[in-house]
Amino acid sequence: MIPCTEFIPAYSELFKFLEAKGGRPAVLDFWNYLSDNFLGNLEELIKQHGLRGCWMYWSRALNEEAADFTMELNEDETEFRITMHHCPSKGLLLKTKHITPYHDYCGHCDVLYRRIFDRLGYEHPVDRSQCDKARCSSVTRRKKSS
Amino acid sequence: MTREVMRRKASDNVYLHKDFHGALSRGIEYIDQHYGPEAVREYLRQFASAFYAPLTAEINRRGLAAIKERIEHAYRTEQALVTTRLSPDELLVEVPACPAIAHMRSHGYAVARLWGETSRTVYETICAGTPFAVEVLEYDDATGRSRVRFYRRAA
Repeated sequence: MIPCTEFIPAYSELFKFLEAKGGRPAVLDFWNYLSDNFLGNLEELIKQHGLRGCWMYWSRALNEEAADFTMELNEDETEFRITMHHCPSKGLLLKTKHITPYHDYCGHCDVLYRRIFDRLGYEHPVDRSQCDKARCSSVTRRKKSS
Repeated sequence: MTREVMRRKASDNVYLHKDFHGALSRGIEYIDQHYGPEAVREYLRQFASAFYAPLTAEINRRGLAAIKERIEHAYRTEQALVTTRLSPDELLVEVPACPAIAHMRSHGYAVARLWGETSRTVYETICAGTPFAVEVLEYDDATGRSRVRFYRRAA
């Protein structure tokens, strides 16, 4: 068994393995597969509770991952924001000096969650400009109808 | 106006997100479906040879005590039982139930048909390049109950 505390390096190596097998499309195909086959609980929570479902989902996940974060839900529950001050996953990869992280490790978060938000009619801009410091932020809100 | 705010530091919590087992299981299943079972082993060898390289080096320095301590730490972290018996040339490891499988089953996550390779292939890779080898004496796919023997290779 690979303990869950050692999953992140295994995940990063998985992306590298897939890219070596089938290039970037293989990695993207896996991320889409994982979104569709692993994140059903998040999708159900949003369907049932709107953006409060995001609050419920990440309340558990980010605490279990011992992340350094601020999570905000606005007054009328139309905007949900996560500010990741220090991502435990990217942070672990950066401090594990004997392995090299997948070059777009942080890309998986954007693809996995955006796929669900798109389907449910939410926009989800993500600021990944400080990913190399294990920091990022995202906002999720209803798409404006055209 | 902000209605609710949650601010947490890393030190506020213990790092233990068992749902990661479900994601790894999906990863293994994906490789199995798209590239076949040997690719699953190839992936696990790639991961283990990179990530566990310091452990392999430690086994070369200190013998089987190094992997015994690592395995005990892993199961302690997962809040699961494991029994080990160490002699100079042999280590027996008995796991009554794999905590990863227990978590996945209790939360409705699919367990990859090759999940057992996360022990078999990973342990074999860790032992490669050391005086020791490993054999899985018993493995139950349903629960992950297992008996594994590490032993000194014949000279």
